[in-house]
Amino acid sequence: MKDIILDIKDLNIHFFTEDGIVEAVNGLNINIKKGETLGLVGETGAGKTTTALSVLDLVPMPPGRVMSGEITLDGIDIINASEKEMEKIRGKIVSMIFQDPMTALNPVIKVIDQISEAIIIHQDLNKEKAEEKAIEMLELVGIPRDRRNEYPHQFSGGMKQRVIIAIALSCSPKLLIADEPTTALDVTIQAQVLKLMKELKDKFEMSMIMITHDLGVVVEVCDYVAIMYAGRIVEQGSLEDIFRRTKHPYTEGLFNSIPNIDNRKEKLKPIKGLMSDPYDLPKGCNFCDRCDYVMRICEEVAPEKIFFSDEHFVECHLYSKDQSYNLSDHDL
Amino acid sequence: MSEIILEVKQLKKYFDTPKGQLHAVDDINFSIEKGKTLGLVGESGCGKSTTGRVILRLLEATDGEVIYKGRNVHEISNKEMRELRKEMQIIFQDPFSSLDPRMTVSEIIEEPIKLNKIIVNKEERFKRVLELMDLVGLSRRLINVYPHELDGGRRQRIGIARALSLNTEFIVCDEPVSALDVSIQAQILNLLDELQEKLGLTFIFITHDLSVVNHFSDDIAVMYLGKLVEKASAEELFDNPIHPYTKALLSAIPRPTLDRKVEKIILKGEITSPINPKKVCRFADRCNYAEDICRNTEPHLEEVSPNHFVSCHIFKE
Amino acid sequence: MAEKIKTVNLKNKNEVAKRSLMADTWRRLKKSKTAILGLMLIVMFLCMAIFAPLIGDYNEDALKMNIIERLQGPSLDHWFGTDEFGRDIFIRIVYGTRISLFVGLISVSIALSIGGFFGAIAGYYGGQIDHVIMRILDVILAIPVILLAITIVAALGPSMLNLMIAIGVANIPGFARVVRAAVLSVKDEEFIEAAKAIGAKDHIIILKHVLPNSMAPIIVYATLKVATAIMATASLSFIGLGVQPPTPEWGSMLSSGRAYIRDQMHIVLFPGLAIVLSVLSLNLIGDGLRDALDPKLK
Repeated sequence: MKDIILDIKDLNIHFFTEDGIVEAVNGLNINIKKGETLGLVGETGAGKTTTALSVLDLVPMPPGRVMSGEITLDGIDIINASEKEMEKIRGKIVSMIFQDPMTALNPVIKVIDQISEAIIIHQDLNKEKAEEKAIEMLELVGIPRDRRNEYPHQFSGGMKQRVIIAIALSCSPKLLIADEPTTALDVTIQAQVLKLMKELKDKFEMSMIMITHDLGVVVEVCDYVAIMYAGRIVEQGSLEDIFRRTKHPYTEGLFNSIPNIDNRKEKLKPIKGLMSDPYDLPKGCNFCDRCDYVMRICEEVAPEKIFFSDEHFVECHLYSKDQSYNLSDHDL
Repeated sequence: MSEIILEVKQLKKYFDTPKGQLHAVDDINFSIEKGKTLGLVGESGCGKSTTGRVILRLLEATDGEVIYKGRNVHEISNKEMRELRKEMQIIFQDPFSSLDPRMTVSEIIEEPIKLNKIIVNKEERFKRVLELMDLVGLSRRLINVYPHELDGGRRQRIGIARALSLNTEFIVCDEPVSALDVSIQAQILNLLDELQEKLGLTFIFITHDLSVVNHFSDDIAVMYLGKLVEKASAEELFDNPIHPYTKALLSAIPRPTLDRKVEKIILKGEITSPINPKKVCRFADRCNYAEDICRNTEPHLEEVSPNHFVSCHIFKE
Repeated sequence: MAEKIKTVNLKNKNEVAKRSLMADTWRRLKKSKTAILGLMLIVMFLCMAIFAPLIGDYNEDALKMNIIERLQGPSLDHWFGTDEFGRDIFIRIVYGTRISLFVGLISVSIALSIGGFFGAIAGYYGGQIDHVIMRILDVILAIPVILLAITIVAALGPSMLNLMIAIGVANIPGFARVVRAAVLSVKDEEFIEAAKAIGAKDHIIILKHVLPNSMAPIIVYATLKVATAIMATASLSFIGLGVQPPTPEWGSMLSSGRAYIRDQMHIVLFPGLAIVLSVLSLNLIGDGLRDALDPKLK
């Protein structure tokens, strides 16, 4: 029985702002076992970052509030944990990498010290030992040790992101949450960093949540994929399930929006309309006003989860009567 | 056969920095036919954005020529340049910072027309603004809205409407969809496609996103550290890339498909400095195939097959 | 790049009205209690200045000496009492408001227009122009404001006009700096480049695009500088280099009341209070504006 590292049950997070209530995360269920990588895919406003922050209890509250649900990380109840307990958990059991490497590092502290800091906080090592370990981490991410006393501004974007990875992994966390870690990087550097992340993931036997909007990145590093829209996971499954047996119209829409490298003149079929207003989500299915397959029931009733296998499910009325319904074929 | 609307000859743009001379654009050559799209690709620091701006004379060229419809853009007077600007426009990457936050949608679109006194009558001008909004798919209800109240896709449409408000024929699109969500990107790309067909526009499409440039361009030029390393038709470039950098770039694109796992060429090291570069191949340090000649002499752009140009000592076919 | 702007669902709004950005600022300013207090105080002073003739006659009540009634404490006849010449202190303070506000606003206007002009040019064009302008202004900036004002007034002679010139000139470098910084913060934005791309000439770009978008720090600075101008006016008049007696000016009232501070303290108390409250109110408004105009504090 594989260990379950992260178990999120029925999570609901709302933001109470001046302009109204934002239903950021709605009925979220995530289950990650040891060594697995889950890709969390969605566009802006889907709720991916909020979900990630909630695992580290870093969602600003107020204005945010966990309305209901459970988050269990390595057996620990995160929602009810105290700040002191969380400080021991962050960096040690779960680590997070953010999108913008340019601003995530402290500009006035040497790179080596930023890594050692994480080590000293969580492990009982003296300064020298911590620094030794930090140098190991630097070399592990491909940065020569003679650059350890430099400052972040002396590093390029790709190298900064590697330093951040070194900090995140310095205490061998069981779960790494990476929020669009390569979006701000050039594509050749992205390839380097993704390769590095894959290697480290295997080496440390780490579980990972990879948040991204890029389905190509998902193919590179993930085992499972969850597609998020307006705070809900609308489809989830293995790589095969999502890429070869796409069920949800939004997922299909995402695939149709991307130019196909192998068929350049194929016309793009964008999803019509705009992201739903998080202050005013529709009554039934969140996606109904943009869906090409919309039916009357979609506007009235929120769809239930329908399972095609242990891992593959979708929230869509199209399949409630007939599980074998097929979306129009699209070639991948 | 289409006429050539833009020709760039030996274009150079250098910046003086405390550390030395930064060669942002170093000896670029290409031409574009009317109604076509040239994709200009490369990663950060390659000089593609600078090239776009020098072409429009938003930056002064250090050397070389930009010949638009037979006239060198950098040799004409300021007054003549302002006239030309009615035909040559730009769409920016960031749909937020490229719109004046204190102006409403209609004011932004109207401004070029007003400034250049194209339509002096207020009512007629307003009619034209509405026409443009219809053309780019902006709801007329938005005339009095401020940019910050709208999402990226709509803001980018404002930028496009503004670019089209004069007698535009040539547009430099500087990463026009990079800041947008995937589904919105597709909407804007389709819009640009439509407009190109309808209005016979010529585009330079600057981007780092290779799948987008493949879809959208007729020809593609690949830049690295200020130099043009390869140029070919889009189809030819993707089917038959020759320069090692192009190959690495293409292999690095994460492909959203489970079929055909492409072996990624991982480049070693990082991009070298564009300051006071030596007269050698600028890619040599990272190239897996570099030989002595690469580290001693600069390669030049050569036509290795019809309409396929490469700048490399080693690979010529 | 992910953008974090709220999507506006326009299905429900039929005709979107033109929402002024000023209305937005006002809404946020209202939230600060101290700013509202400051606003009420300054409105009070403004009313006093505007409606002074309705409160009392200038020559009869503010200037005319009335030795019989001298040195009387506050009473129903004379709310703030009378000074050493029997003049009603309240009326004198009311008329003094005119002077303080007038000198304050005019001197700041002088400094803003001249300093702002040079600051905008220096900021927008940069390079040599920037160097030359700023180094010249640095020389003026090196001299303390009060000292500079004293020098100018001493050279030109004490009068209200020269006071305005002196305080105005002394504040030019400060305004130049603030406007230059504001211009620098905006001029590299893409919408400025966009304005160039559509053929706008430089002066249009500065007036129409750069300045309106960099107003916030300039407005805050100007508000606070009116406060210091009022202080400077009072200080200079106090030492006899500003408005000359018998013109009622808070600073000179303080000065002439010095001799009576022990037994008839009301003579200095009320002018002092007027100075403090007017300066305070402007500072409160300035602080409130700084917060209300800051786009990051939503």
